[in-house]
Amino acid sequence: MKVTIDKWIGVSTWHWNHAQDEVCGICRVAFDGTCPTCKYPGDDCPLIIGECKHAFHMHCLLKWLTTESSKGLCPMCRRRFKTATE
Amino acid sequence: MLKIWSMKQQQQQEQKEAAANGDGVVKKKVTAAQIRVQKDLTELSLPSTIKTQFPNPDDLLNFLVSIEPDEGMYQGGRFNFTFKINNNFPHEPPKVKCTQKIYHPNIDLEGNVCLNILREDWKPVLNLNAVLVGLQYLFLEPNASDPLNKDAALDLQRNRDGFKRNVRSSMAGGAVAGERFDNVLR
Ligand SMILES: [Zn+2]
Ligand SMILES: [Zn+2]
Ligand SMILES: [Zn+2]
Repeated sequence: MKVTIDKWIGVSTWHWNHAQDEVCGICRVAFDGTCPTCKYPGDDCPLIIGECKHAFHMHCLLKWLTTESSKGLCPMCRRRFKTATE
Repeated sequence: MLKIWSMKQQQQQEQKEAAANGDGVVKKKVTAAQIRVQKDLTELSLPSTIKTQFPNPDDLLNFLVSIEPDEGMYQGGRFNFTFKINNNFPHEPPKVKCTQKIYHPNIDLEGNVCLNILREDWKPVLNLNAVLVGLQYLFLEPNASDPLNKDAALDLQRNRDGFKRNVRSSMAGGAVAGERFDNVLR
């Protein structure tokens, strides 16, 4: 018997590589979901992780850091928010 | 065959129910603040001394809170607050005001509240539960070091028992140093 494949449909799932805390502490939506201003999860609405190891949707964190009262501090631990470099 | 038929029927029934529940009806755009408030509200786990009330059930951003301390010098009172949450929540804290005129070092005569987590220590990860419990804490441990009503703070600092007596009489609608307060007794 000989089989010819006419067509195939690939399916895959993805997950951010960040297990600690499943939801963003700012909007309380899952990391694998989007921040309230985005429509598509994933690369369009990335996560940002601080030196303090706290993670947020990047858009949620940027919005917080632009408010005067944030003083550049992490919304979780109030240490100066610096993006982790690794 | 029979099984497929009954599954289809069930599916139709579920669709009908969803329609009756108002799902699928065009809704107004829900803001980020509303989504977040809704999550906070469903996660509330409050002691029986704190109650929330929604005068307009469609408006989750404006509501009332009453606190009835079951210990401390404010025990026996019912203290009412309005909560106003704007569309910058959780980047900005809720605006909280006491609707009664009360004698308290951290609440002024207009009802403005001095609570660190509602001001300089606000952070977006704080939820409404934390705010409400923090607000109740003001009645268990009034704090003279960060006053809005300086006279009351001085009173507390100088003579705790005298302050306690003034609190009791103010709560019954009495006057302290010539200033009359609202009766807040339950
Ligand atoms: Zn977020
Ligand atoms: Zn986003
Ligand atoms: Zn942090």
